[in-house]
Amino acid sequence: MTTTRRRPAHAALPLVVLILAACGVTVPTDPDGTLDTVRGGELRAGVSPHEPWTQIGPDGAPTGLEVDLVEAFARTLDAEVVWTDGGEEELVADMERGDLDLVVGGFSASTPWTSKAAVTVAYVTVTDPDGKPEGHVMLTPMGENAFLVELERFLLEQEVEAP
Amino acid sequence: MTQGAVEQSFRFGNTELPPEASEATRKAKRLAWLTIAFLVTAVTLVYLVMGSSQAMKAAWAEDLLSFIPPIAFLVAMRVTGRVPSEQHPYGYHRSVGIGHLVAATALLTMGAFLVFDSVSGLVAGEHPPVGLIVVLGWEVWSGWLMIAVLAYTCVPAVLLGRAKMPLAETLHDRVLHADADMNKADWMTAVGGIVGVLGIGVGLWWADSAAALFISASILRDGLTNLRVAVTALMDARATTVDGSAPHPLDDRIDEVLRGLPWVREAGSRVRDEGHVFHVESFVVARDGMPTPEQLQEAWTVVTDLDWKVEDLVVVPVDELPEELLPGLRGR
Repeated sequence: MTTTRRRPAHAALPLVVLILAACGVTVPTDPDGTLDTVRGGELRAGVSPHEPWTQIGPDGAPTGLEVDLVEAFARTLDAEVVWTDGGEEELVADMERGDLDLVVGGFSASTPWTSKAAVTVAYVTVTDPDGKPEGHVMLTPMGENAFLVELERFLLEQEVEAP
Repeated sequence: MTQGAVEQSFRFGNTELPPEASEATRKAKRLAWLTIAFLVTAVTLVYLVMGSSQAMKAAWAEDLLSFIPPIAFLVAMRVTGRVPSEQHPYGYHRSVGIGHLVAATALLTMGAFLVFDSVSGLVAGEHPPVGLIVVLGWEVWSGWLMIAVLAYTCVPAVLLGRAKMPLAETLHDRVLHADADMNKADWMTAVGGIVGVLGIGVGLWWADSAAALFISASILRDGLTNLRVAVTALMDARATTVDGSAPHPLDDRIDEVLRGLPWVREAGSRVRDEGHVFHVESFVVARDGMPTPEQLQEAWTVVTDLDWKVEDLVVVPVDELPEELLPGLRGR
C-alpha cells in the first residue's frame, strides 16, 4: 500500500514548486504583505537607544551604525524611514500590533525577544565582555518572511565594522 | 549464562528457534541497528534546519521518539535470550511486553504534548519566522532546506518499515511490529512537514501549525493503539496475532490436533501470550478412564510440534473439561 501512495507524494513536490512559480508567487511570501507595503512607501522603524549601536540625538533624531543600515536598506526599497523611539518592550509590542516593520537597538542573537519577534541573521559578530563571539541582529514582525529574507539579504551583503 | 551469549540468536529462553525464525532474528537485529544509525542522521539534520517551525519541531520529536522502539527491541531480544532460572521459572519473555508498554507510553505522552502545543500555536495565531541561512557561501531560504531534509527522512524510514513488518510477524514480536508501523507511517510525517513549510512559503502562517497538528495526531494515535495492545497482552488476554487484530490461529489448532488423537474425547486449552512464545495449558478428557503416561507424552509432542511458539505446554488429564478454567466452554 505504501509504494503506491508514496510515489505521488514525491512526484508532487517539484510540481507544487513549478505551479507556485508559474502563478508568480514568490517564496517566501508575507502573510500580512509587509514587504509590498514598505516598497516605494514608508518603512516604520523602531529604535531603542543602545550605544554604540544606536543613539538618540539632542534633537530627537536617531543616529548610529544600525540607523545608517536601516536607512540604506530603505533606499534599496525606495522607501522613506519613519522613526519611532522608545524602550525595547514598548517597541516590540508596537511591532506585534503591526504598527512597526522593524526594530533596532543593539540586539544580540541571544535576545530574549525571540518569541515575540523574528530575528535576522547576524550582520556583524563582535566579542562580548566574556570573550565569547556574539552576533548582532535586528528584529522584524513574526512570520513576515519575505520582508525578513529581503532584509537578511541586504544585511549579508554589507561589510560592517563593529563600532 | 555463558552458553546464552553464544546461542542467543537461536533461542528465546528454552525455545530453540527454527532456521527461519533464527534468520529473522538476525535480520531484525541488523535492521534495528540500521534504524538507529539512520535516526541519528535524521535527528541531527532536522535539528540543524528546524528553526522556529512548529511542524519541523513535531517531526523532530517524532524522530527522537523513533529511537525508543528499536532500542526496546534490542534490549528485549537480549533479555528474552536468557534461560529460565529459579527466580524466573517462566523465562524472560515478558520483556517484550514491557518494552512495548514503555514505547507506547512514550508515544502517547509525546503525541498529547505536541497536539496541545500545535493547537495553542493555532489559537494564539503564531506566525512562524523562517529566514535565510547561509550554506557554503550560498544564501538559501531555510524553508527549502527543511523540505530537502524532510524528503530525505521519509524514504529510508519507509523502506526499513517494510523490511521489518514480515519479520515482526515471523517472530511474533510486538515491539518490532510497533517500530515497523511507525517507520511505515513516517512518510506522512515528512509529507505533512513539507506541506507545512510550503504553506509558510506562500504566506499561510497557519499551515505550519496545522501540519504539526496532523503529525502529532498521528503520533497520539500510534500511542493509543500500541498502549491498548500492550496492556491487553500483559493482562494475559487470549493470544492474538501480532497486530492484536484477531485471535491467534494456533489457539484453535491446538485443540484440533488434540481432539484428533484417537484416545481423546474432549480437549480445551488456555493460550497466553508471553512475548514471542505462548504458554499453553491443555485439558484433555480421555475416552476411557485416565490416559496413560505414553498417551500424555504423545499429546505433548503433537502440540509442541505445531509451532516453535508453543512453549511450556502443560497437559492436564481431567474427567470433565473445567468450565471455570475455560470460560469459552460456557457459550457452547
